[in-house]
Amino acid sequence: MDWSDAVVEALRRHDVRVVAYVPDTITWRVLGKLEKDPAFHLVPCTREDDAIGVASGVYLGRGRAAVFVQSSGFGNCINALGSLAIPCRTPFPVFVGIRGDLWEFNIVQVPVGRGVAPIMQVLGMSAYSLDDPSPEAVSFAVEGALYTTFNTRIPVGLLIGPRLSGGKRI
Amino acid sequence: MNRFDAIRFLVQHLGSDAVVANLGTNDCDLNAAGDRPENFYMWGGMGLTASVGLGIALAQPSRRVVVLDGDGSILMNMGVLATLADQAPRNLLYVVFDNELWAETGRQPTHTARVTDLAAVARGAGLRQVALVRELEEFQRVVQRALAEEGPWCIVAKVEETGKAGPLPSLTPDGNVLRFVEAMRS
Repeated sequence: MDWSDAVVEALRRHDVRVVAYVPDTITWRVLGKLEKDPAFHLVPCTREDDAIGVASGVYLGRGRAAVFVQSSGFGNCINALGSLAIPCRTPFPVFVGIRGDLWEFNIVQVPVGRGVAPIMQVLGMSAYSLDDPSPEAVSFAVEGALYTTFNTRIPVGLLIGPRLSGGKRI
Repeated sequence: MNRFDAIRFLVQHLGSDAVVANLGTNDCDLNAAGDRPENFYMWGGMGLTASVGLGIALAQPSRRVVVLDGDGSILMNMGVLATLADQAPRNLLYVVFDNELWAETGRQPTHTARVTDLAAVARGAGLRQVALVRELEEFQRVVQRALAEEGPWCIVAKVEETGKAGPLPSLTPDGNVLRFVEAMRS
């Protein structure tokens, strides 16, 4: 069991059934497992804001969804969160594979990667960084975030940092 | 055809189907045609009306979901047509009212006024049941077929922009969500 299994089990325990995403190598550690698991329905999207729209729709239909994006792609989500999901209070977790942090080789990933948490916070969401790769720590944070988002009806950010991903080296 | 006439016809033929209306003119016309708990009015999220409809369709597989979109919005997020085709929800009817204008912002002509064929885009994205209609009678025929068959259906309806048929619904976005979620219970 590693951190990605802890994420999968947390989603299962909190009745998340639809997962809307644009793939990247970090979040694929989780998505690759969800894809093989019949409890989850995956929706590959062409843009990250599309995934936010789908997740809002799932809540409207009395379901629970999660969104998985890469950090530069998170930049595409800003208006979808700010003018749809947050004011409508359609809750879901937004998992972000963080690039541009420790062990990054590519400068183009740095600006928006650094911006993910502050952008979420200024929009009115909480952003939790997953910095301890132990399954217990990941379980505690992810389950806590799922509990909070679905009870308070505000989307929540879960940032998968370099301690979990190992960064991105050439 | 006139958009309000088309929406009024559609609303008269809905049971407990869910409807998602694009921000602006579609919201106002749907509200004027008949406010109902199964209506969700987009206030923001331009380009995401079809995405929201897809999410509802996935979460409510035994209920039909009707999306009322506009050309300005779908031009902003044409990729969602590929996602609709890929997911292929059988309970989805996607209608785009193409007035060839950004009506809300001062009637500037959109790309569909000049070069872009949204029905061809929808087909190219992989949607199979696609109809392009210009007259109300034609719209009515296709809607009746689309409501009788399995989807996903895509109707591109060319409309003349004659203004909004009424005011925005008197609901806050959050209030609309709570009412809609309750309506999805039964």
